[in-house]
Amino acid sequence: MFDVQTLIQLVVSGISVGMIYGVVAFGYQLTFATSSTLNFGQGEALMLGSLAGYTIMTQLAAHLGLPMPLAYALMLPFVLIFGMLQGAIVERLGVRQAIKTKSEAGWIMATIALGIIFKNLAENIWGRDTFPFPSPLPEEAIQVMGIRILPMEVLIVCGAIALMAAVELFNRRSIYGKAVVATSADIGAAGLMGVNTAQVITLSYALSSLTAAFAGVLVGPVTLTGASLGSALGLKAFAVAIIGGLNSGMGVVVGGVLLGITDRLTGYYISSGYQDVPGLVMLLLVLSFKPSGLFGKAKIKKV
Amino acid sequence: MRFARRTMMALVATTALTSAAFAADPIKIGLSGPFTGGSASMGVSMRDGVRLAVDEINKAGGVLGRPLLLVERDDEAKNDVGVQVAQELINKEQVVATMGYINTGVALASQRFYQEAEIPVINNVATGTAITKQFPENNYIFRMSANDVIQSGMIAEEAVKKRGFKAPAILADSTNYGQLGQKDLEAALAAMGIKPVAEEKFNIGDTDMTSQLLRAKAANADVILTYAIGPELAQIANGMGKLGWHLPMIGSWTLSMSTFIDNAGANGEGAVMPQTFIQSPTTPKRKAFIDAYQAAYKVDRIPSPISAAQGYDGTLLLAAAIKQAGSTDGAKIKAALENLNTKVEGVVTIYDHPFTATDHESITANIPVFGMVKNGRVVAENPADLEGANAVRVKAH
Amino acid sequence: MRSTVLKAAFVALLLAAPFLIASPYYIHLLATIAIFAIVALGLDVVFGYTGEVSVGHSALFGIGAYTAAMLNFHFGIGFLWALPAGMIVAAGFGALLALPALRVTGPYLAMVTLAFGTIIAILINELVPLTNGPLGIKLTRPLFFDWRPYADMLPFLKMPLPRMREAQFYFATIIALLFTLLVISRVLASRYGRAFEALRDSPIASDCMGVSVYKHKVLAFVTSAAFAGLAGVLFAYSEQYVAPNNISFDQSVTFLLAVTMGGRKSRVGPIMGAAIVVYLPNLLADIEQFRVAAAVIAVLAVVIGAIRLARGAGDRLAALVPVLLCVAFFALSQVMTTITDFKLTIYGLMILFVVYYLPDGIYGFLRNLVGKFRPEWVRPPINIDGLGRAEDAWAAAVPRSAPDQPLLAASQIVMQFGGLKALDRVDLNVMPGTVHGLIGPNGSGKSTTMNVLTGIYTPTSGSVSFDGHDITGRQPAEIAGAGIARTFQNVQLFGELTCLENIMVGLHHTYAASMAEVGLGLPGARREEQSALSRAASLLRFVGLEALANEEARNLPYGKQRVLEIARALALDPKLLLLDEPAAGLTAPDIVELMDIIRKIRAHGITMILIEHHMDVVMGVCDTVTVLDFGQKIAEGKPAEVQEDERVISAYLGTTTEIV
Repeated sequence: MFDVQTLIQLVVSGISVGMIYGVVAFGYQLTFATSSTLNFGQGEALMLGSLAGYTIMTQLAAHLGLPMPLAYALMLPFVLIFGMLQGAIVERLGVRQAIKTKSEAGWIMATIALGIIFKNLAENIWGRDTFPFPSPLPEEAIQVMGIRILPMEVLIVCGAIALMAAVELFNRRSIYGKAVVATSADIGAAGLMGVNTAQVITLSYALSSLTAAFAGVLVGPVTLTGASLGSALGLKAFAVAIIGGLNSGMGVVVGGVLLGITDRLTGYYISSGYQDVPGLVMLLLVLSFKPSGLFGKAKIKKV
Repeated sequence: MRFARRTMMALVATTALTSAAFAADPIKIGLSGPFTGGSASMGVSMRDGVRLAVDEINKAGGVLGRPLLLVERDDEAKNDVGVQVAQELINKEQVVATMGYINTGVALASQRFYQEAEIPVINNVATGTAITKQFPENNYIFRMSANDVIQSGMIAEEAVKKRGFKAPAILADSTNYGQLGQKDLEAALAAMGIKPVAEEKFNIGDTDMTSQLLRAKAANADVILTYAIGPELAQIANGMGKLGWHLPMIGSWTLSMSTFIDNAGANGEGAVMPQTFIQSPTTPKRKAFIDAYQAAYKVDRIPSPISAAQGYDGTLLLAAAIKQAGSTDGAKIKAALENLNTKVEGVVTIYDHPFTATDHESITANIPVFGMVKNGRVVAENPADLEGANAVRVKAH
Repeated sequence: MRSTVLKAAFVALLLAAPFLIASPYYIHLLATIAIFAIVALGLDVVFGYTGEVSVGHSALFGIGAYTAAMLNFHFGIGFLWALPAGMIVAAGFGALLALPALRVTGPYLAMVTLAFGTIIAILINELVPLTNGPLGIKLTRPLFFDWRPYADMLPFLKMPLPRMREAQFYFATIIALLFTLLVISRVLASRYGRAFEALRDSPIASDCMGVSVYKHKVLAFVTSAAFAGLAGVLFAYSEQYVAPNNISFDQSVTFLLAVTMGGRKSRVGPIMGAAIVVYLPNLLADIEQFRVAAAVIAVLAVVIGAIRLARGAGDRLAALVPVLLCVAFFALSQVMTTITDFKLTIYGLMILFVVYYLPDGIYGFLRNLVGKFRPEWVRPPINIDGLGRAEDAWAAAVPRSAPDQPLLAASQIVMQFGGLKALDRVDLNVMPGTVHGLIGPNGSGKSTTMNVLTGIYTPTSGSVSFDGHDITGRQPAEIAGAGIARTFQNVQLFGELTCLENIMVGLHHTYAASMAEVGLGLPGARREEQSALSRAASLLRFVGLEALANEEARNLPYGKQRVLEIARALALDPKLLLLDEPAAGLTAPDIVELMDIIRKIRAHGITMILIEHHMDVVMGVCDTVTVLDFGQKIAEGKPAEVQEDERVISAYLGTTTEIV
């Protein structure tokens, strides 16, 4: 039963799906760092990005007669903007009030509620079925040493890394990025130094949904797309964010890949029904013993 | 502001009262099916087929001088929701009979309430063999579709006898439909001396079938036999495409679902499945039905032609039974169904005494033919099956 | 008196319902509301009191349901045995859930519950031999006793079999609901309820008052789970079918909505909320009913908005927004022809509305409204007239330790945070019966020392011994139990609890009755509560706060809060009391009172360590003073000596430099 080739195949497949988890988890980390809140509806942000991208892309292809790869490329900036707007809405409606009143249960329930609303609206606009997302790259798998890799999977890995690198660069180089880092470190001091922390938080939510939307159009061509795309992914990405550490950018990448591989291996060697279990168990273990995550830094309580 | 609202409420109340006064007391028929979720295309088609029949019947004066009123409820293809729907239809809406079910599991979970209340259930689409056998005594459950014993027999015959495959892999979903169908399939294969080399399971909503397919491949399967519904079937086809390992797909009738055909695309071409009805105007009745459906619902391809056709036929039979019984009493309707005096020309077949006290299946093994997915539609695998005298096959008594 | 009559009338009405309502469907609906109410009441313990968001209660509910189903399916065990079994199994899983939840809070805890719920749903779906997987398990509702033969004598008993079955099961659920109300009311009114609120308001203070946060978190989850399990068993028999689909994230959210919409920290709130969420799908299926409901809501919103504006609410625009939203909602309901597709959107909007405008829920909103006119109806104050005396503030004479042995001996304590040494080989010996001052410039390590002594930090190296026992690195709750109490630099009172209740948390250690005894209302438990109340009243009188006994701690002026903290610490019957800057922010008269209190405490034999910046306080009450600077001890001795010490002076004022 044990076949090295199959094992490598599963690992490779796991890496690509893991990168998706990592990108979504990256979004969690962005908002948590600046505001100690996160979007429980992040999975729905991914789903909306995927569906919006699908509509824009097919409309572009149909009305302008463009070939799919070009339509896909043209669609990307629109989806990124869409993602930013969606994130800003979540922040405005769900999170801002709760931050002001320091009510934790408030933003948790509000972001959950927004996620539910988005999913239901998506079901009514795009229907409840899943449907295929046109692939910008050829659908035939390429063979590398007997391992089959879809071109799209390669794009996922490259795209995910590129996006996270871009955001990190933004944080380190631009002045807005520095404002984000300052707010993450100490929101009170940053405010006193003239940083508009409210804007920074809005920006972090916008960036967070941007990464989720981007992940949505990356993953769409590989799986089918539809209104229920987000739910399972959102929870997996949580696990990655926690395992990797909500304060560490590197952690989410490692955590994502780890989880993706574990998923695939469990699905094959044990049973596909149990696929999600190891990730969730890892999540519980990490929260039990090292809540700051494998790569995170524990915060010292000051009384 | 408050005054306007009060007036509004009064208006609403008056309209409700007056509209009730105008209508002759309608006969309430329950309709339980999945109108959302993965099985929705079947549920919606069934509903639309039933609605078409009800409209026709009402235009012709109704039954016993009263119009038929459909009370539609979405059971979401979930067993527990089906149970709640059944209780609502029986106790709150007090329906005379119920048309349903798409999903075997929902049917099996919900039917006992109707049986207890002595209200007939016409199963338009669900094919689990156990459905009509759940209550051996005084059975209130009737069926319009080809059950899984018939279908699995046909599948096994096609795969083993006709095409000579020797190493089938069965891929079935984890619902009652998939699991019970798989058992029927195993029995049919065993009768031919064949044992499946792999039997894989997956859940509704699963998108990645790689593990299951890899295990089937490791077992050197030569054909994939399926018992699942549209979206997951598409994932199987696409999964094979991704692995670059293409095997023929022969499976239960659900391979005709639009969700399978559309999502599988090129990977789904050539799949074959038993069909009681293929969307093709091979008789005047069928042409009329297809035309009426297309006009009423503004579609070209019916999402699930079998669901629509069987739903339509089921309504005709129910109406005929109520007419014959001369009352809306459940026991009397049941007796009438078991002893239908009039011949009813349906879309699938011409019904002549379709049910008896001991036989509640309207379809026998000679009626379904094999359909095949070709160019995004379902056509007859063997066109001769639908021509001439073969166009209408009646129940073998 | 009034409320007992009301309650009795309500219960009578509930029990009469099956004879008044003809349709078994509506009886079934009422039974479902009762079942959801039981879950919501249990969830309130975790969400309303402990303050944690749990989105895993659907799994606990499902575990109860599946326990009942599996017992029946595999062993033929029926309804009556299933009830306790379901509660116990679910409680066990609740304890399991609490384990990863112990060290985390807020969103992390929510994620734990989410992960837990998902794992349970998967396990139930996949363990087919045990649970029958997606196929589900069928159950038959029990018929307790056929009363139709008695219909001749009591005509209202005449009814068809289905309606009788429905009615009997309904009675079972009502009895379960009454049981739940009784037990939960008692538990929440007892020290457990206070403990749950304490660990929400200040986990650190909780631990330091001997109320272990871990233990009570587990208790809260276990209690909550037990009732979710009870409801699950009832649900399984009510629906006569269980399937893995019964467990879902959406359902967990529904339970949360029931508690938030109804009103947390109340009994009526969760019941109200349960009624709303159970009836909602019915409402949404019927467009006419829905429109009427939307109209009613819009009318209410307009009325309430008008009242607010008339009373001159501060921000007119902000008060107008919810009114406009409700009216827009009504307009939308008129336009739409079918609502069922949007059921979940409506759910989401309801949650948002509640989060924004009804943070205390509908019942909470009503209660606050009534509270403005008749506050005593809302939170009946505890009358402490004639209860307790200032002299009785002391439990018993504090056992005198040997006067020449140090009560507390801290030896070579090093506390390192990363690269920073907050404490560098500090020795501290505190003699019994003394007030030992600890002073030094800001950042010198005073509070760090206190945190090490009370177990909040584990020292990097060094040891602490108290009364002859080594307490290095022990948990704060243990150390509190050993006899060390403290106050905090930033006041850590339990804000939503009253002054009386804050002190009673400190008296937690005097109770022996278990939760079961409390739940059953046994006389022993009641006596304990009475005597604790009396002691708490005494402590309040000692510090002069008896007039504010029923005031929420967060409403007190700053000075009084500090004094309350001391009273709470004294409730622990400590041998050693640590006071962290008790005079900070106090006015001069308050400081005089404070010094008086400190002297009285010393007179009673309690040893104290006092961190202070107010030199007059230090000089006035301390017997010995230790001085820290940059984490090192630089001087020690009598106050007058230390005051003259050159090193101390230069630490505070800096050395002089020659300017040439």
